Amino acid sequence: MNKPKLLKRVLEIIPGGLSWSIIFALILLSVFFPVASAIIIITFDFYWIIRTVYLTTLLIMAHHCLSRQKGRDWLSCCLGLPPEKGWDKLHQLVIFPVCNEGLEVLRPSLAALEATHYPKEKFIVAMAFEERNPQARSNAAILEREYGAKFGGYLSIFHPDGLPKESHTKGANATWAAKAAKKYIDSKGIAYRNVLVSCFDADTSVDPEYFGCLDYHFLTTEKPHQASYQPMPVYNNNIWTAPSFARLVEISASFCQMIESMRLEKFVTFSSHSMSFKTLVEVDYWPTNMISDDSVIYWKGYLHYHGDYRVVPLYITVSMDVAYSSNIWKTIVVQYKQKRRWAWGVENFPFVVNGFIENKKISLWKKIRRSFHLLESHVTWAVWAVILVVIGPLPILFGGAFFSQMSIAYNLPKITGLLFNFTLLTSLTWIFLSRTILPPRPKGVSWFKNVLLILEWIFVPLIILVLGSTPALDAQSRLMLARYMEFNPTLKGNKVL
Amino acid sequence: MPGPLEEKEEAKRCSYLTDYALQKVRGILFFLGLLIFFTGLPYILSFALGYKFNPHTLKFVKTGLIYIRTQPEGAKIYLNNKLTTDKSPASIQELVPGVYKVALELEQYYPWKAEVEVQEGKATRLDKIILFPLRPDLQQLNQEKFSTFHADFQKELIYYLDQEQNLVYRSNLDGSNFEDIATLPDNFTGIKGWEVAEDKAKMFIFNAHQIAVIFFDTRDNYEQPDSPVFIEYPREKILQVFWHSDSYYLIVVTNRHITAIESRLQATPVNLADLSKENTTAFYDNKRDILYFSDMQKAPDGAVYNNLYRLELSANFYLLERLMKKRPSDFTQVPGSPKEKKEGQVE
Repeated sequence: MNKPKLLKRVLEIIPGGLSWSIIFALILLSVFFPVASAIIIITFDFYWIIRTVYLTTLLIMAHHCLSRQKGRDWLSCCLGLPPEKGWDKLHQLVIFPVCNEGLEVLRPSLAALEATHYPKEKFIVAMAFEERNPQARSNAAILEREYGAKFGGYLSIFHPDGLPKESHTKGANATWAAKAAKKYIDSKGIAYRNVLVSCFDADTSVDPEYFGCLDYHFLTTEKPHQASYQPMPVYNNNIWTAPSFARLVEISASFCQMIESMRLEKFVTFSSHSMSFKTLVEVDYWPTNMISDDSVIYWKGYLHYHGDYRVVPLYITVSMDVAYSSNIWKTIVVQYKQKRRWAWGVENFPFVVNGFIENKKISLWKKIRRSFHLLESHVTWAVWAVILVVIGPLPILFGGAFFSQMSIAYNLPKITGLLFNFTLLTSLTWIFLSRTILPPRPKGVSWFKNVLLILEWIFVPLIILVLGSTPALDAQSRLMLARYMEFNPTLKGNKVL
Repeated sequence: MPGPLEEKEEAKRCSYLTDYALQKVRGILFFLGLLIFFTGLPYILSFALGYKFNPHTLKFVKTGLIYIRTQPEGAKIYLNNKLTTDKSPASIQELVPGVYKVALELEQYYPWKAEVEVQEGKATRLDKIILFPLRPDLQQLNQEKFSTFHADFQKELIYYLDQEQNLVYRSNLDGSNFEDIATLPDNFTGIKGWEVAEDKAKMFIFNAHQIAVIFFDTRDNYEQPDSPVFIEYPREKILQVFWHSDSYYLIVVTNRHITAIESRLQATPVNLADLSKENTTAFYDNKRDILYFSDMQKAPDGAVYNNLYRLELSANFYLLERLMKKRPSDFTQVPGSPKEKKEGQVE
């Protein structure tokens, strides 16, 4: 194995190795040194209480921003900008990478785009189909017939299967589409710096004011080409009809993203996002062999601009589908696979650290800080639920007679109980906030669902247990053992599958 | 409806808030969290480990705790004669090491008191305390006089023997269905023991030389004879008698032999073993029909040893016949006896 490959393997092993080491070390400590284990658990519990309160406060702040900007006429804001800002020259390239989604998913996305409060002639819509999908050509033809004339430009692009240096990933499809769109943009003589590219999941329905908001932030932010623009992902498309379990998971995911939007120094692109087309070309597009293309594109920008690249939060929503299936067990599996795919973002760690090693212009402090953040976030994801739910009771179970006569043996459950009471308090905040981001109840959905939306939060411990750490541990273990994941699109749809 | 300019201003304001003010608030929150964590953690850990901060000496003192659990719960807890706010179950914490007077009180129950020692960093567990009721549920079961009784928990019955009136009574464990079930034979004096058979239809009583099998006055007892069955051992001293699990045979241990005898008139005893020890002791496992007994044996070296034997008496009727043919050396000696002999264990 040559040196770069060896380094890559070492970096791939670090997150999983660290997570498993923490878990095993705590288990062994619980058995052989229960007092030490209890001290670590209490420390972690206390840290978790403070962290939960802190993050919930950030959520409230993010929610406050979202509420303030809700319904704002962003297009008017853009029109009010000085002409030298150049809003009138801007164009929107919107790419929808399609894997196997059908018309029932794609039509609402295009309809939402058509319904935006934004000049349609500025849009270049690129429907990026996978050629291996037998329905691709017919679906493309239908959509082109229905929507082709409604935007300034409309492209149906077919990504060939099995190109060299490519995996079956969304990024490969999006990159192929972006390159095809580049030819179109060149043919129209549009400068790349005047094109904003938005890469949306196929089920993404944008807020009508999204592009106005995006333009305004692009034109008013410093170094606009050295930034990605991240809307708040919500899963409102089918949230009223989705099962409780899946709904809760997705609401939590939305909230996590809102919290992240407040931590600008750690904020990384996720799912549907936008950026300058000029930058996209300069950083050589999305990765074609990595699953977490949405976050890798940020890191590519970060490395390309030597650390002077950031994500600007847009407090406006893009709505997607809640992933679920026909019964609770299948839904758990669907959700598990989706979360594991998200957790596969751990592949960013070797990519970023390797990039840091090669890049000599980024300061060492920045490199250490960002690498630590990246590693810490993934390791915490993989171990927090295991520590709280599984390891927490172990000192009492395995401590034996000696431990059971210690004061700490009596205080450990008390402090753990206090943690859960705090968690309950923060849950109440989350319940309240979750109600405020919901779309209006559709006709035909019983009012009783309002009650259910509150009661369903009792599933949180189950969700923590099943989807808290296990998908992340799974993903990290696969990376550690070089069992690389292939892109496995989440089954989505407005109807129950 | 705000105009474009107002919108622009508002958007600016929000953008400013996001980029600067909110980040500043977040920074303050972050460092506040850090401060709480690093200042609070020593207190939490010291509390968990049993340390108590003494504001007078500005030092941490290692304490212990008393954990109290009672049955029933809810007892008031007095510590050094002072009522605490806790009720059992409770852990009384931050106690300076030493001896404490603990008293537990619950209405309608006897109080519980003790002096317990508290050690630093440790929990003194008082978790097996039963508070007994002041007026326990004392219930008289017998409805007639009796001299001895036997409780059979398997069959959930109590048998009473009245040697003055020569009567046998029986009741359930709660005293219900108290009834007179048999009459003891007259002039049967010096009763050394008695036992009811497994079939609950009869019992034996025995004295030094006589066994009487008495059949109960139950309607379905087809084998009930007219009078008790007497089994005499005029030349031997009866030490112990057991019922075989078939409720038909009696296993009799005398100072000379171990015999099996049918519990009916004119039955001839079967000699199972000869004993050389006058006062042997025996135990009978009536579930497996195994007799354990000790006996003195003379070894080839001339010394006499006390050995323990195990004699299997299966419920198989023909086993007794086989036993009759069995040589004394065939008896199993229980492992661990001080000396085993290869032959003639029972002489």
